[in-house]
Amino acid sequence: MLDLNDLENRTIYIVREVYAEFKSPAVLWSMGKDSTTMLWLCRKAFFGKIPFPVIHIDTGYKFRQMYKFRDEIAREWGLELVVAKNEEAVKEGVGPEDGKFECCTRLKTEALKRCLEKYGFDALILAIRRDEHGIRAKERYFSPRNENFGWDYRDQPLEMWDQFQGLLGEGTHMRVHPILHWRELDVWEYIKREGMPINPMYFAENGRRYRSLGCEPCTLTIESNAANIDEIVEELKITRVAERAGRAQDKERVFTMQKLRALGYM
Amino acid sequence: MSINVVIVGHVDHGKSTLIGRLLYDSETLPDDKLAEIQKLLEEYKKRFEFAYFLDSFEEELKEERTIDTTRVLFKGKDYYTIVDVPGHKQFIKNMLTGACHAQVAVLVVSAPDGVQEQTRRHAFLLHMLGVQNIFVAVNKMDLVDYRKRVFQEVSEETARLLSSLGYSGARFIPISAMEGDNVYKPSGRMEWYQGPTVIQSLDGIEPDKVAEKPLRFIVQDVYRLDSEKVIVGRVESGTLRSGDKLIFQPSGMKGRVEKIKVFPGEVDEARSGDSMGIVTGCEAKRGDVGGHLENPPTPVDKFLVEVVLLEGTLKRGDEFEMKCGAMRTKCLVSEIKERINSETGEVMEKNTEEIGENEAATVVLKTEPLVVEKFSEIPELGRFILARNRRNIGAGIVLEVAI
Repeated sequence: MLDLNDLENRTIYIVREVYAEFKSPAVLWSMGKDSTTMLWLCRKAFFGKIPFPVIHIDTGYKFRQMYKFRDEIAREWGLELVVAKNEEAVKEGVGPEDGKFECCTRLKTEALKRCLEKYGFDALILAIRRDEHGIRAKERYFSPRNENFGWDYRDQPLEMWDQFQGLLGEGTHMRVHPILHWRELDVWEYIKREGMPINPMYFAENGRRYRSLGCEPCTLTIESNAANIDEIVEELKITRVAERAGRAQDKERVFTMQKLRALGYM
Repeated sequence: MSINVVIVGHVDHGKSTLIGRLLYDSETLPDDKLAEIQKLLEEYKKRFEFAYFLDSFEEELKEERTIDTTRVLFKGKDYYTIVDVPGHKQFIKNMLTGACHAQVAVLVVSAPDGVQEQTRRHAFLLHMLGVQNIFVAVNKMDLVDYRKRVFQEVSEETARLLSSLGYSGARFIPISAMEGDNVYKPSGRMEWYQGPTVIQSLDGIEPDKVAEKPLRFIVQDVYRLDSEKVIVGRVESGTLRSGDKLIFQPSGMKGRVEKIKVFPGEVDEARSGDSMGIVTGCEAKRGDVGGHLENPPTPVDKFLVEVVLLEGTLKRGDEFEMKCGAMRTKCLVSEIKERINSETGEVMEKNTEEIGENEAATVVLKTEPLVVEKFSEIPELGRFILARNRRNIGAGIVLEVAI
């Protein structure tokens, strides 16, 4: 097993660097296990109270249980919650039947873009991990996005010895990935150790559970009997199935994830 | 903790293929990864390559080369974080990004091609980064009919390169990443070789004994919580205990550790790598380095470094931004003592005015007082980044602080 303290120490170091180096940071929260862990680590970095806003990108297609979990945790942890929604696209009725690429771009990437314009955030903390997806494995801890939200993955910054790239210019923002080095198993071991609250949708019912949570129409369950955190940890030690097997937007076509991310998807 | 292993070498000598083979033979990959790659191959009309487990950009598939670094966790006797880096000269910054935390390196050299430009440059950079453990994998043995003589010739050539950089006693392993010889499974095609496979070699590494070093605590920030001022940061070396008397430099503040705070609660002790907060009654500043009064950090304003420049030029009299620990400051290039060829490590010129892209140099830097340490003594505070126009463009290590 990896040492959870090492993982935690590095993440807290990075979060504190963001707070020291950027004028207006925020953290993204999807109520899933990774971003909830990210919030937990932010609370640790700042001794209980997260000193910047927490953004939820609401596509309107999230599971009912996720909204409930959001509101309970936001109250309990005293979060400064910002709900970002692309109202225009919602009115137009954009949905997964328009194609996953189109739907994710309009309802997630564009909603985030508008939110950034409105609030002027210059750094966004995101809970992506290398072991989730080959494209995410190519990321830096501090990854600049240009004025158009684009990710210039052909020219990523030099990043050595925890010396991270700062902002490059007007209109750009930084994506920061403090749990990039954690694996799915580490996240669950950590949730277990810390006694963190977690969305119960991850626990199996009638032989199926959600392993990765997204929007309701595009997220499928996997076969599983893991009905609590201990059983999930044991399942992950032996599974041969990829974590995002139930996430449709990764699989529509090859390199969809790369193209989504190049445009500023999370 | 996992051991960081970087796989380096010239373009096309088989770095990504070696890692892909390791993942495949050890059954580390999820079942649908292979199916995903099959789909890619059909769409792009490509032949299967083990490298595609790592090279996940469309451009990497189309151009058949690694562009950016990536890493995977691999379970052997210990956990290994295996880092893939590109072998092209134009992607040296990505190579350094991947290699900077390596404890072990596997230098991949193609048996038919022998030592090439990036073999030499990567070896030089490993030496500069202070990577002590190197294994040499002589790859593509299948293309030379698994002949012992070719292996010996390439090994000797590589040994000469390594010894010119001060490395001795590297282990050489004949492999074919493509065919799976001596990577994860022992080969049946080279009876003349009785040594370990790549994975057995990694499993044989003894962890470095960490010598007790003086306390160095880098200050990231000061938070005001209720009535307390909490200095937050990370212990880079040594041990910090409740009750210790500290001095912070360059600000010169002194204090006594009243509390070591984590959330929730307090601890009595923090060791290297720990991120926490301390309450001392004094107020240090971001960029300060804390240490014990009896072995304090010493501020300097002039020191000798070795740098490698990745973009543009570096001239005598130039000003750069420098980042070391949590300190960000301006530095002036006061002298360029030696201009160094980063491919061969040889000194090309002494007391020169300028160096160019992808060159190295020993340089005297002048700064406002700050704490740096000799890289050979406290590496965490002996390494830094150079930036210009807010872009990270070079990296360096501190050779001497008292000059």
